[in-house]
Amino acid sequence: MDAQEDYIWPRATSELILLPVTGLECVGDRLLAGEGPDVLVYSLDFGGHLRMMKRVQNLLGHYLIHGFRVRGDPAVGDVDSQAMLAVFGSKGLRVVKVSWGQGRFREVWRSDLWSMSDWIWDVRWLEEKVAVALGHNSVALYNPMLGRLLQEVHCTDRCTLSSACLIGNTWKELTVVAGAISNELLVWYPASAADLEPVTPDRRVSGHMGVIFSMSYLDSKGLLATASEDRSVRLWKVGDLRVPGGRVQNIGHCFGHSARVWQVKLLENYLISAGEDCVCLVWSHEGEILQAFRGHQGRGIRAVAAHEQQAWVITGGDDSGIRLWHLVGRGYPGAGVSALCFKSQSRAGTLKAVTLAGSWRVLAVTDTGALYLYDLEVKCWEHLLEDKRFRSYCLLEAAPGPEGFGLCAMANGEGLIKVVPINTPAAAVDLTPFQGKVHSLSWALRGYEELLLLASGPAGVLACLEVSAAPSGKAIFVKERCRYLLPPSKQRWHTCSAFLPPGNYLVCGDRRGSVLLFPSRPELYPTHGVGIGVGLEVGGKAVAAAVAAVLSVGGGGEGDGSTPTEWGPVSTLPALHGKQGVTSVTCHSGYVYTTGRDGAYYQLRVQSGQLQPVLRQKSCRGMNWLAGLRMVADGSMVILGFHANEFVVWSPRSHEKLHVVHCGGGHRSWAFSDTEAAVAFAYLKDGDVMLYRALGGCTRPHVILREGLHGREITCVKRVGTITLGPEFDVASLLPLDPLEPGSQGPGLIDIVITGSEDTTVCVLALPTATGAAHALTAIGNHSSSVRTVAVWGASTPGGPQDPRPGLTAHVVSAGGRAEMQCFSLMVTPDPGTPSHLACHITHLSSHRLDEAWDRQRNRHRMVKGDPETRYMSLAVCEPDRPGLDPLVAAACSDGAVRLFVLQDSGRRLQLLAETFHHKRCVLKVHAFTHKSPGQRRLLLSSAATDGSLAFWDLTAVLDHGATALQPPAEPGFPHQLGTPCLTLQAHSCGINSLHTLPIGEGHHLVASGSEDGSLHVFQLAVELPELEEAAGEAEREPQLRVLEEHTVPCAHAAHVTGLRILSPNLMVSASIDQRLTFWRLGRGEPTFMNSAVYHVPDVADMDCWSVSPEFGHRCALGGQGLEVYNWYD
Amino acid sequence: MGRTSKDKRDVYYRLAKENGWRARSAFKLLQLDEEFQLFQGVVRAVDLCAAPGSWSQVLSQKITDGHVVAVDLQAMAPLPGVLQIQGDITQLSTAKEIIQHFEGCPADLVVCDGAPDVTGLHDVDEYMQAQLLLAALNIATHVLKPGGCFVSKIFRGRDVTLLYSQLRVFFSKVVCAKPRSSRNSSIEAFVVCQGYDPPAGFIPDLTKPLLDHTYDPDFNQLDGPTRIIVPFVTCGDLSAYDSDQSYPLDLDDGSEYQYTPPTQPPISPPYQEACTLKKKGQLAKEIRS
Ligand SMILES: C[S@@+](CC[C@H](N)C(=O)[O-])C[C@H]1O[C@@H](n2cnc3c(N)ncnc32)[C@H](O)[C@@H]1O
Repeated sequence: MDAQEDYIWPRATSELILLPVTGLECVGDRLLAGEGPDVLVYSLDFGGHLRMMKRVQNLLGHYLIHGFRVRGDPAVGDVDSQAMLAVFGSKGLRVVKVSWGQGRFREVWRSDLWSMSDWIWDVRWLEEKVAVALGHNSVALYNPMLGRLLQEVHCTDRCTLSSACLIGNTWKELTVVAGAISNELLVWYPASAADLEPVTPDRRVSGHMGVIFSMSYLDSKGLLATASEDRSVRLWKVGDLRVPGGRVQNIGHCFGHSARVWQVKLLENYLISAGEDCVCLVWSHEGEILQAFRGHQGRGIRAVAAHEQQAWVITGGDDSGIRLWHLVGRGYPGAGVSALCFKSQSRAGTLKAVTLAGSWRVLAVTDTGALYLYDLEVKCWEHLLEDKRFRSYCLLEAAPGPEGFGLCAMANGEGLIKVVPINTPAAAVDLTPFQGKVHSLSWALRGYEELLLLASGPAGVLACLEVSAAPSGKAIFVKERCRYLLPPSKQRWHTCSAFLPPGNYLVCGDRRGSVLLFPSRPELYPTHGVGIGVGLEVGGKAVAAAVAAVLSVGGGGEGDGSTPTEWGPVSTLPALHGKQGVTSVTCHSGYVYTTGRDGAYYQLRVQSGQLQPVLRQKSCRGMNWLAGLRMVADGSMVILGFHANEFVVWSPRSHEKLHVVHCGGGHRSWAFSDTEAAVAFAYLKDGDVMLYRALGGCTRPHVILREGLHGREITCVKRVGTITLGPEFDVASLLPLDPLEPGSQGPGLIDIVITGSEDTTVCVLALPTATGAAHALTAIGNHSSSVRTVAVWGASTPGGPQDPRPGLTAHVVSAGGRAEMQCFSLMVTPDPGTPSHLACHITHLSSHRLDEAWDRQRNRHRMVKGDPETRYMSLAVCEPDRPGLDPLVAAACSDGAVRLFVLQDSGRRLQLLAETFHHKRCVLKVHAFTHKSPGQRRLLLSSAATDGSLAFWDLTAVLDHGATALQPPAEPGFPHQLGTPCLTLQAHSCGINSLHTLPIGEGHHLVASGSEDGSLHVFQLAVELPELEEAAGEAEREPQLRVLEEHTVPCAHAAHVTGLRILSPNLMVSASIDQRLTFWRLGRGEPTFMNSAVYHVPDVADMDCWSVSPEFGHRCALGGQGLEVYNWYD
Repeated sequence: MGRTSKDKRDVYYRLAKENGWRARSAFKLLQLDEEFQLFQGVVRAVDLCAAPGSWSQVLSQKITDGHVVAVDLQAMAPLPGVLQIQGDITQLSTAKEIIQHFEGCPADLVVCDGAPDVTGLHDVDEYMQAQLLLAALNIATHVLKPGGCFVSKIFRGRDVTLLYSQLRVFFSKVVCAKPRSSRNSSIEAFVVCQGYDPPAGFIPDLTKPLLDHTYDPDFNQLDGPTRIIVPFVTCGDLSAYDSDQSYPLDLDDGSEYQYTPPTQPPISPPYQEACTLKKKGQLAKEIRS
């Protein structure tokens, strides 16, 4: 084989990049977004929304795009269908001509990529030339077609800049406004240079207390805006800046951001700023904030563009998301709070409670027992009825449904319940199901067929009332159907209820935080014997008591002689939401969702008549009181809750607070209602009813052009498997791109990849091979600190090996800061209804916190001291090859330990088994591998630490026999000791950041490691097992590990080698923070360099490689400050 | 998180406070010295980007009867025996002021621990850090005696080989060193450049900033095998604390843990006014109709 050929093969090409969006520009009706070296082009669709239509690849080589400048003059041709663009970033500059005639976006021509001598802060077209503002305060006049520097002029002050802005359309009038590190603005004129001598600044403007990151000049009004590190935006009256010596006056100093301001943009009527706080603010030129756009995640908004005619603002984030927002001008009438002016001479009493029937009818009761109606269309209060018995205490709840079913219910302290038809209050029905205070009232509605009213009375009695209307609509009937009994607790009443479709069960939440399942009619209860059995088995004590009460016929209804049966729950999740109680239950497409005052919402499922938790999620920070959950038309959900003294409607999907109402908190009476037309929130304040209404319901008013990924660095990437979509899933319709990209033919293969991040979430991504796109299927946010590592085991297909169905299932364990581990199972199935054509179901299995385990130990053993700041750096799962054995997971820990856990019951229990402090310093990596020889299988673990040492451990016996195979703990209560390693090796002189092995036959393995110093270490490991006769027993058959051929490549990379994969006995690939992906030839002595590609993701922390299919070849995913996917063929 | 939480996560942070250093960086310079004997025979030294001043503390302790000039953008609390200049080292006026102090009596050592306030945009940060290094190098070419030593912080990112090639022009020996007190996870390292030996005919020129080198198809390739990568040395002995490791508060040396407040309260940040306004609830809010 000749060397030349080797050098070319294999060639990795970038097929997908997710990076911070650093450049945005509107060109005609297109939006251009810079992402890495690529440009994404969005166009207007018929609905008036932008849609991605094309990716123009690799405009800037290994540079990243920071901006676009459109050539303005008409010499270019038809400005409505084509444009000449200067694209720049870092030191690179390229000109492209694009056209979008006949609905197709085409790249007509592109210049070469020009490299400047210094960083480019700004570019401005001067007819067919460009002026370029450079890093050390100089300006170059450049011919971008030919790549020729025509002239370069320096300022006398050659400090480094943090931003610059060029003004003027000819070289003669060209004006530079430069932001110096000294926080000053320097204004100077390059054309005033005599004999190319440096030019003295014409004006120096100071004011900001930090460096200036962005500037924007509005010619028509002679205004300049600046954004700074000092978190403020300043507006300057500068007049025509092209005229030397003019006066500069600071006319606005705007403080509104809570972190550094990265971007500013002046429009005719607005000033837009955006920053590190992920907020985009719309200011008037007078310095008032008109709108605030929130939703980006992570380290801020990096790019802003505006389309003034369409009144759009488009923002690009560090999270690689792109969002479009609508400018609405001053005093947006669409949403607002109004007082409904209840207080009047003619209305006695003060308001006690308020409720909403649909989104336009408000009901309120007073302390005189009077019920009033306010109709938003009529805009006045109407007295419906008055009943003195409701004077001292009155609950009020309107029935659910778009118009509140035209019903509401009142209840008092003596067990009296009144159901009122709102239109015919005279037909109200009274009922006293029990004596004593009615603690709570709730409704449950099944379609339009069945309406129940549930009322909690004394001693845990829950009366279930059927409400129906006469066909005439004039009369209603209320009848007690049955009585339930709640588990005992101090505050023993229910708080919410819902039918579980198809309607055989009711799900209720109670004040104690428990979620309860009741058959919706007594006939549906299993026969007593079975019912008790089931209840006792799963529910714990509370259920046992409740079920026992089923038998205690006559437990309630004192006084009236009758002895109705009280039915206990058939399934209970005790104290699921903690002491503050459950606040809502919602059933939607097969799942039950509950919210609580613990700040969390749960996804639950009912299987064989039992409630099972699936996933617990936290809401946004500071929102500790969740009040409800709604499903929105687009399939996403929104969370209702209270954030300090505000009522908030929050979207977990877009991370946006869709509605915020300053209501004073959730302790006073309030009600929320949403219909397709509007959302309404009513609350009592100062004796009046306040009503917030916003048109358009809970759907987002803003558009997410592209979903963001992680808000912070990606720390780990792991591919789970590939899903093949059948022909019924038209792959072409997945394609947002036009024309077809190469590689899009063939079956619809979708790789499923998991990423973990410093933003504390784990994300499941779908990467179709056909489109070079990425779809975030779901984000799981149950870690309390950053996620550093994920491991996967038991990958299979839905239905298992016996009955394989399309899709993918797997178990995942993630770990990171605060010594926390989370286990969940994952199921991805085809779903034609979603943009990714996939549905992803997550079930949380278990959590483990080392400090909690330590705390438990500490109660018994005073000596246990562990460090709760311990971080898990890396995980490796050891899977047994026989059924019936539990997998092990090994963790590299920052406190110097390697810890071994057992994953019992398919990950539902996670238990610390053993540990070793062999390394005595931070352990960075663990890697598990299997050694197979005829009739033999050994499970080996390798671990690597910050001192460059490697250790190998044999875990076979632990896997087979559990803890009995280990040395007993040093002291009772401590974990077992892992013993001594089979082999140790000083592979590097400093930290090992990557580790991989590959079996190469004859009992040998290749082991490769990469280090912080950029070196690679590769050796052959021989695993020798003593003959059966020699060894006394199975347990003693310790393998002998020997190092055979050992090689080091000292300067393989210029920084940490954080990704390493031995692809075959003669091919290896490495990735480093120096942004090179390098292939190495193995097997002929020292590894030799084959080729390398410069990639775009900085700070790569992890890499995974896999082969997709013979047609598609191999893929590798690099995760760091972004995500990049490479592809190569054999 | 309590106030001790940072002490647990970062053993050097805690040791710095306990030993009276103004920043944990002091250990980096001490560990670099362990490996390279940086202070041997040094009489005159420059500390660029010195605030809050822990390197200056180390220098003034190690160089007795010497002459230390410390420079930073930020004001720094005074230190006995250290002459302070406040200014931007990339600016001509600051550079001139520094050089003044060494006219006729060149310096033996120039150190620079400069780091820009990172923006999180990696390419910008890497560029800005490189400019600080080059500005420091430019100053060093004016003040350093032949054979003198230059130590600077460096970010080992995509274009680090361009800096290596630049430094090789001026120094006979260039090594990249990582003190054990600098975290494995950090891209920060230090270039230790010994034996100042400018090319023949080189005339230092302050008015022209040193610009980055570019990739070179023969000597320093962008994506080929030929790259200028200098040797990498880890310094500080192995028994030193591991900066990536989390330690319990009671360290093994038997000493009992006691919380120590930071030696130097943080200098007033540029966003102080914004913070004050926020505290008073005076940040602008959305106007509501
Ligand atoms: C990591 S700190 C130095 C810590 C110092 N060596 C010590 O031990 O206390 C980096 C310093 O660089 C300074 N710096 C950044 N850019 C600078 C510039 N252009 N000129 C001068 N100082 C600068 C910052 O103000 C900051 O104080």
